[in-house]
Amino acid sequence: MKARPFSTFQFILLALFAGLIVAAKIALKTPIRLPGHSGLFWMALVIVAVGLVPRAGAGSLVGLTSGILAGFLGMGDFGALDTFLSYTAVGVAADLAFMLLRNLDNLVICALVGIIGHLGKFAVKWALGAATGAPLGFISLGLAGSFASYVLFGALGGVLGGLTLKALRRAGFFAYLAERR
Amino acid sequence: MSQRTRILIAVAAIVLIGAAIIGLEMLRGRSVTGGAIAGEPTVAPGGVPIYVDGRLVAGFTPADLSQLAEASFADAAEGVVQEGWLLSDILRLHLKTDPGPATQITVSSSSRQKSAVLTWDEVADPANQIMFDLSNRSTLKLVSVMPALDEREEWVQDTDRIDITTVDP
Repeated sequence: MKARPFSTFQFILLALFAGLIVAAKIALKTPIRLPGHSGLFWMALVIVAVGLVPRAGAGSLVGLTSGILAGFLGMGDFGALDTFLSYTAVGVAADLAFMLLRNLDNLVICALVGIIGHLGKFAVKWALGAATGAPLGFISLGLAGSFASYVLFGALGGVLGGLTLKALRRAGFFAYLAERR
Repeated sequence: MSQRTRILIAVAAIVLIGAAIIGLEMLRGRSVTGGAIAGEPTVAPGGVPIYVDGRLVAGFTPADLSQLAEASFADAAEGVVQEGWLLSDILRLHLKTDPGPATQITVSSSSRQKSAVLTWDEVADPANQIMFDLSNRSTLKLVSVMPALDEREEWVQDTDRIDITTVDP
C-alpha cells in the first residue's frame, strides 16, 4: 500500500516546530550547567510535534528542518556540520523510538522517546568528535556524566512534551487537527 | 509484540548506546603521548601535552584538577557561563618558574585545526580570564574575556596541545 504523503498543513505544522526548536535554543537560557540541559525544551517540542503528526518521518522532518536552520544560523560550538547532524539525529532517533513505542498517551513512553531522541544527538556529537580525532573524555567520568545528563534531560523533556500533548487533547486541539487533515 | 516488550527493547537500546560509547571511548583513550625520548614524561590518556621549545615537559591531566582552583565568567556574546581552570594556573603547576612576559604560548587543536597564540603576559593577567572550559563531550575548550578570544569562532575547541616558545628579551 502506498504511504499517504504529508499534507501541506502537516508540513507547515512541522516546520513551525522546527523553527520553535531553534528559537527556543537561542532564547531560552537556563542556569543549569549540566550537559544536554537544553533537551528539556528541545525534546518536549519534538514529542509534541510527533504527537500532533503521528506519522513515520515527522520527527525526522522536524530534525532535518531545525538542523538546516541552526546550521545556517551558525549555532553550536563545533561547526555547521556538527550542528546540522545533531539536530537531525534528534528527529530521526525520536522517530525510530516513536515507531517502536507508538503510544504517546503514556508518560513513560514519552520519557523513553525523549531519552532515545536526545541520545541520538549525544551519539552524533561523540561520533563526530571521535572521527575527527578530538581528545574526548578529558575527565574519564565526564563522558559517563554527560550520558547520564542527556538521559535525564531527554526524559524530562519527553515527560514535558507528553503533558503538553495531554493538555492539547483536553483543549480539543486534536479534534481541530482532525478537521484540518 | 506487547507494549511491555517494546519498552524493554527501548530500555535495552538506551543501555546499549551508553555502553557502546563509553566502552569505545575507554579503548580509544588508552594511547599515551610521549615516553619515546629518554627522560621525556608520558602523558596519561586524555591529557593535554605541554611542550617547551619543542620538548615535551608535562601533560595537563585530570589528576591535576584537584590542585587547581575553578574559575568562571559569563561570556558577553551569549551570556553562557564558562567554567573551568585558568591556563596560568595549569602552566604554573607544571613549569618550575614563570615564563618571561613575552614568552609565546600556543594552544591548539589538531582535530579542529585551530590555535590561539598568546603571550605569558596575557595569560597571567587575571582580568583576561584565559581558561579551559569542559565542553559537553568532555573536551577542553580555550575561552577568555579578552577581545581576541571572546567569541565562539575564536575559541579553541577540542584542545590537544600546548606549546611554549621562549622568546629572548
